[in-house]
Amino acid sequence: MSAIAGPRPWSRASGRERLGTVSYHGLMTAMVLAYIFPALWAVSMSFRTDENMFAADQLIPHPVTLQHYARLFEALPGLGQYFLNTVVIAVLGTAGTLLSSSLAGYALARFQFPGRGVLLATLLLTLMVPVHATLIPQYVVFRELGWLNSALPIIVPLLFGTPFASFFFRQYFLTLPRELEDAAAIDGAGPWRAFFRIMAPLAGPAYLALGLLTFVSLWNSFFINSIYLAKQSSWVLTQALQSLIGRYTAQYGAIMAGVTLVSLPILIGYLVFQRWIVRGVSMTGLAN
Amino acid sequence: MSSTPGRTHSGRAASRRSASLSTRRSRTALLFVLPQVVGLIAFTGVPLVASLGYSFTHWDLVAPAPTFVGLDNWAHLLSDDRIPAVLWNTVRFILVGTTSLLVFSLIAALLTFTPRRGVALYRAALFLPYVLSQIAVGVVWRWMFNTNSGPIAGIWEFFGGDSPDWLLDPATAMPSIALVTTWQTIGYGMTLYVSALQGVPASLLEAATIDGANRWQRFRHVTVPMISPTVFFLTVTSLIGAFQLFDPVVAMTSASAGPATAGGPSNSTRTIVLYMYNQMFNYSERISGLGYAAALAWMLALIIFLITAAQFALSRRWVHYDDPVVRASRKRARA
Repeated sequence: MSAIAGPRPWSRASGRERLGTVSYHGLMTAMVLAYIFPALWAVSMSFRTDENMFAADQLIPHPVTLQHYARLFEALPGLGQYFLNTVVIAVLGTAGTLLSSSLAGYALARFQFPGRGVLLATLLLTLMVPVHATLIPQYVVFRELGWLNSALPIIVPLLFGTPFASFFFRQYFLTLPRELEDAAAIDGAGPWRAFFRIMAPLAGPAYLALGLLTFVSLWNSFFINSIYLAKQSSWVLTQALQSLIGRYTAQYGAIMAGVTLVSLPILIGYLVFQRWIVRGVSMTGLAN
Repeated sequence: MSSTPGRTHSGRAASRRSASLSTRRSRTALLFVLPQVVGLIAFTGVPLVASLGYSFTHWDLVAPAPTFVGLDNWAHLLSDDRIPAVLWNTVRFILVGTTSLLVFSLIAALLTFTPRRGVALYRAALFLPYVLSQIAVGVVWRWMFNTNSGPIAGIWEFFGGDSPDWLLDPATAMPSIALVTTWQTIGYGMTLYVSALQGVPASLLEAATIDGANRWQRFRHVTVPMISPTVFFLTVTSLIGAFQLFDPVVAMTSASAGPATAGGPSNSTRTIVLYMYNQMFNYSERISGLGYAAALAWMLALIIFLITAAQFALSRRWVHYDDPVVRASRKRARA
């Protein structure tokens, strides 16, 4: 694009530029539509009658039917339970991560204390350690504790923060000016008060962005859940969705209804918070 | 730090006070980091070491305790002909997935990084698949690839071709999964590239233009070096993710509830983690169960560590970090 060349050499809207703009938007619209076509088509399929399932002219289904949603609830009577299980994991996991990691990130950014360098290096090294390498001993211990088929093995480790989130918060707090804390200290506020009253609210954007990213990844996660949540009543939504594959190899309507329902909360959240999620991602890039 | 000794007139008393203040601050700091430190020890440090311990044992969870078997698991790992197969599958995933991710997300970023009308909407749409679950996405694409009713075969045949069997053919299954993963991750790569491209100083591009560089030369010799840290970051994270590939394979290849039947056709999409998962709950072979799964997990961690370390070592040759202009603009972008 012309932007590679930096500022555009012409300043007034010339005919050439207008033509360029029109063809740019034409090209982009076509590409973007083709790009998200699978998502649109999946939603559309969930509302089609069986006869129209594979018709090419049914992007907007006519007639619209809800029978696949009814079938979905028939096939998965526990859907409400799976939804609840997913919400519990995503909400508590996100809250714990944010609290513990922001405390750690703040201390790493602002305090001198013995072992600070070691802790920071350990956090960065831990980013490379796959969950699988620590999974088996954890599985054994959680099994011993009777935690299998409950959300505890997934939530409890998150309550202590994650290395990624701690590092993320450290990077964010480094960008905030020191003057405010100094002022708070002069006013007699201790570090806890300064943190919760001044710094944490100032870091609102970081909490929101990282909170959204954490929530989304917990909502979408599958591997760790499939290890710990074997019993059907403890399932989360992604497991329920995956279970449709075996049952309904040809029932695309019900499968797409499942896809739509599972993705719906995230899609709504994405519509509202899109800018924050994207900002969170660009912050993770800058963190490196 | 905020305690600055020696500023007041009453020298010794003040410095003692500030010393105790700084110890107090450092004690508070330890409280701040306490949860994360406990978490690191309890959920990473200890299990990582314990995992290595388990790799020298055999345990099927039925027996009351693991039995020590020495190096059996590791010896078996070296002779297990499924290991080269799963590694080769991962390499095939990387060859298609990582390369296409790096290229396509750069193209998406080049098309959308200039602030103008409508661009935010395009970016939002391109980012959308990234927030969906890999299971949901995999399930949809499984239908896209379906040879009987899926649209890809339909389009293929519309143009007169004989559509491949995509997910049912060992030759095309893994590349297909890799392309789906790229489809889902383009928005992520694009977002990082957009930040990087916006940080390329216009003055440098202008200077290159004055020196007579054409568009391609400016891109190749100014833009590319300037965004090389992003290329590097994306490559590192993409490879770390590739070695842990699991969810998309389950969504697109499993035949029943649960991941146990995934990895086909003919094990052509079986990954390290999928194999580990199956071994963890498989007690039918002489060497299997938790002990062998722990050895596999450790092998995975070692591979990731070595590949990442190698990339950092190689990065000195092609990643440009030390440009003052870049550093300043990155700082500005961060603030």
